[in-house]
Amino acid sequence: MSTFLQLVLRSLETGSIYALAALGIIIIYRTSNITHFAQGAMGMFNTFVVTYLFTSAKMPLWMAILGGVTTALISGFLVDFIIIRHTKKVAPISKQIITLGLIMIFVGVAPFLFGVDPLNLPAILPNGAVSIGGASISYNGIFNISFGLVLMGILFYILQKTKWGLAIRTTASNEATARLMGVPTKTVTMVAWAIAGALGVLAGVMTAPFTSVNLNLMDGVQLNALIACVLGGFQTFYGPVLGAYIIGIVKNLLVYYVSSVWGEQLLYVGILIFIVFRPYGLIGKKIIKKV
Amino acid sequence: MSVNLHLNENSVLKLEGLSISFGGLKAVDDLSFEIKEREIFGLIGPNGAGKTTAFNCITQFYKPNHGKIYFRDKHGNVTNLTEHPVHEIIKLGLVRTFQNVELIRELSILDNVLIGAHIDFKSSWIAQGFKTKKARAEEAALRKEAIEVLEFLKIADRMNLLAGGQPYGILKKVEMARTLMCHPKLIILDEPAAGLNDQETIDLANVIRTIRDRYDCAVLLVEHDMRLVMDVCDKICAINFGKFLAVGTPKEIQLNKEVQAAYLGVKEENHE
Amino acid sequence: MKNKFNVKKNQNLSYLIFGAVLCTLPLWIELGVLKNSYLTLIGSVLIYSVAAIGLNLLLGWSGLISLGTAGFMGLGAYIAAYVTVNLKLPFEVSLLLGLAIPLVIGVLVGLISLRIEGLYLAIATLSVSEILRKSFEELGWFTNGFSGKSAVYPKLLGFITLDKYTTYILLVFFLIAVMILVNNLINGQMGRALNAMRGSEAAAQAMGVNLLKYRLVAFALATSLAALSGVLYMSFIKYTYPATWTLGMSLNILAVIIIGGVRNLYGTVLGAFVVFAMPDLFLKQIPYFGTMPGFAYIVNGILIILVILFYPRGLIYIGNDFKKLWGKLKARVAR
Repeated sequence: MSTFLQLVLRSLETGSIYALAALGIIIIYRTSNITHFAQGAMGMFNTFVVTYLFTSAKMPLWMAILGGVTTALISGFLVDFIIIRHTKKVAPISKQIITLGLIMIFVGVAPFLFGVDPLNLPAILPNGAVSIGGASISYNGIFNISFGLVLMGILFYILQKTKWGLAIRTTASNEATARLMGVPTKTVTMVAWAIAGALGVLAGVMTAPFTSVNLNLMDGVQLNALIACVLGGFQTFYGPVLGAYIIGIVKNLLVYYVSSVWGEQLLYVGILIFIVFRPYGLIGKKIIKKV
Repeated sequence: MSVNLHLNENSVLKLEGLSISFGGLKAVDDLSFEIKEREIFGLIGPNGAGKTTAFNCITQFYKPNHGKIYFRDKHGNVTNLTEHPVHEIIKLGLVRTFQNVELIRELSILDNVLIGAHIDFKSSWIAQGFKTKKARAEEAALRKEAIEVLEFLKIADRMNLLAGGQPYGILKKVEMARTLMCHPKLIILDEPAAGLNDQETIDLANVIRTIRDRYDCAVLLVEHDMRLVMDVCDKICAINFGKFLAVGTPKEIQLNKEVQAAYLGVKEENHE
Repeated sequence: MKNKFNVKKNQNLSYLIFGAVLCTLPLWIELGVLKNSYLTLIGSVLIYSVAAIGLNLLLGWSGLISLGTAGFMGLGAYIAAYVTVNLKLPFEVSLLLGLAIPLVIGVLVGLISLRIEGLYLAIATLSVSEILRKSFEELGWFTNGFSGKSAVYPKLLGFITLDKYTTYILLVFFLIAVMILVNNLINGQMGRALNAMRGSEAAAQAMGVNLLKYRLVAFALATSLAALSGVLYMSFIKYTYPATWTLGMSLNILAVIIIGGVRNLYGTVLGAFVVFAMPDLFLKQIPYFGTMPGFAYIVNGILIILVILFYPRGLIYIGNDFKKLWGKLKARVAR
């Protein structure tokens, strides 16, 4: 039982990372109508910034993270300002390719600025663990989970209860109409890209301690975040977050109890089967075209 | 064999008790009418009356909950349309146009019309890929036929132009050309007058009559434009709230009190 | 306006001429006019073009999205290697199996496409590709795992052993054959049905197009071409490892058709050239910048974005636009 509990706790941590990344992807999808394939790459890039500030500029970790979040906000804003803003007439499929171009740019600039060797970023809290019901979870794990939940809680609160959140939800529902009703959609998209950038770097900073800071840091996260969006459905903001936690938990359970090698793939097969029965995700709804 | 008894010798389509519901709402409720061979038949009703739903049921885009739809196909056999999947309907000789003009923008007008001949192509894909003599001959023959149809509708001069960017009136003609490729027994026109001006509507009436004469088919017209309906239809069926109201000649329908009530005088304003 | 018939007939002829020109490449290399590396470079462009044509059939003409191209390319490559190296069967058998097995999986994916569409379908195909890639990593008996698998140049008809130049000619042969076959199909009944499926499912069905059948056809063709590309890859590059066949590769193939021009076969080859050859051909030669790590990547990324923003129809139409511009200039001067 305690192993199970431990797995679940560990999964919540993985789930938090996926959830943050997925939330970034879905916010951009619903406001700019673009599938952000570069979420991971941008997160990776800004995590490099954090690492650089921590190791070379010798800043305390919390300050380095703040620095990374700042560059993340700026990079998100710049991407929207320079590129995305001008894609009104671009076909949807081409918009996704733009994010591919972004991947190439960020993956290209990173080694140029930070060198080709992998770097190391420590966890936010020092080593040490706590025992809950016989299962042990590291301080860092608790922090990641709580921080993730709190941050998303705040974002959802803003979305549901504030004027700004309303602006975002209106733009997400129908951009043209929102604009006509006076919603500052340009600002909304800009803010969306900035927030997504910030969520990406936070996910990166949480992932980094488990591996090293390298070009492929966020590849797995990116993939799972996309799948979380499919599982949860692209029609709501909370669907992908839910999907992310589910993926985190089920993946770890499958890897431990069924197959350490094929656990993740079994999860994908399971999800594929699931969406055959529910083509629009857990929370999705079909839009019927009238003829 | 017994199915044949359901349909009179000179009828081509017969609805019997057609019903379909969405959620709790009955969109079409026990609708019945009959269309004779070579008849131009109008289906009218106020907005939301269920005309579009009814004919989506006929063409099997929706599967009705109840009722039968008897149709005499190209080979003279009577069949119940609800037993067929939507993409097989055209093989029986029943085609439709679309209110929103569903043409392929990136293809030429000629290619769009050739899509109407899709079921006539018999060569295998391998033959098409290697462009065998038989495949080339088949393509050439059907192409020639498509050009003839375009000439019949007087738009052959535009045949190599892309469909996207053509004027609306032309596109509607292209859609009609597309339906003629299969030598239909019944053509269903979905609000063909929508978006046309007065002159174009008069042209349309002539085109419908000429098509009926030349192709020896029946036409079911689902339409709002009363002038066109009264002008060109041999028989009209009026419905409201998915239910049958009345059927008769244009004159009879005009004089029918229930139909007048349903339209609340809108018909009067249209009729200059 | 030219009679459409003649232009189409000429298209196939133009492909043959194009192929002939491509075949002269080894000559230029032997004469020292072009560097040795050009053979690998252009050969790769031809290989990726085949996969990209498959994706163009699926996305450009049929309107179905797949991000699984890389997985099927890899599968074709590994099957080809396994059949020739491990099973010691002839090249022709490896070609057959290398196409047949991925085809079956492709049809299964096509069945899924009946239920899911758009973005959901894209990511579903992505997960299929990832499952394949993981299989490449883990099924050591088949793929040699992370260390990668080697093969040799093909041996045709059991006795004609090819070398790098003749394998290159084989690549040209397959590309031109694919271009001609696809061109014929696209301009006939099948092409119109696929276009109809993409343009309006309702109209397609009303005209008798069986959506199930044609979706499967589209996926079958795209998968076979991706697998063929993999077989050719293995025959020419003679080595592969699992990390080649990632989402990045699938996205690159997608970029190929977007940049070059969707629904255009020459455009596909042009796009493959821009995405896969330009970095090495031009960008790496630029002094100072060329040696920076990631420089080619950055420029390619920027180029992709510029093309989409300013040339959404694809670079293949630059020719048209230049002609128009030239015409306008001439008119100006004449006045």
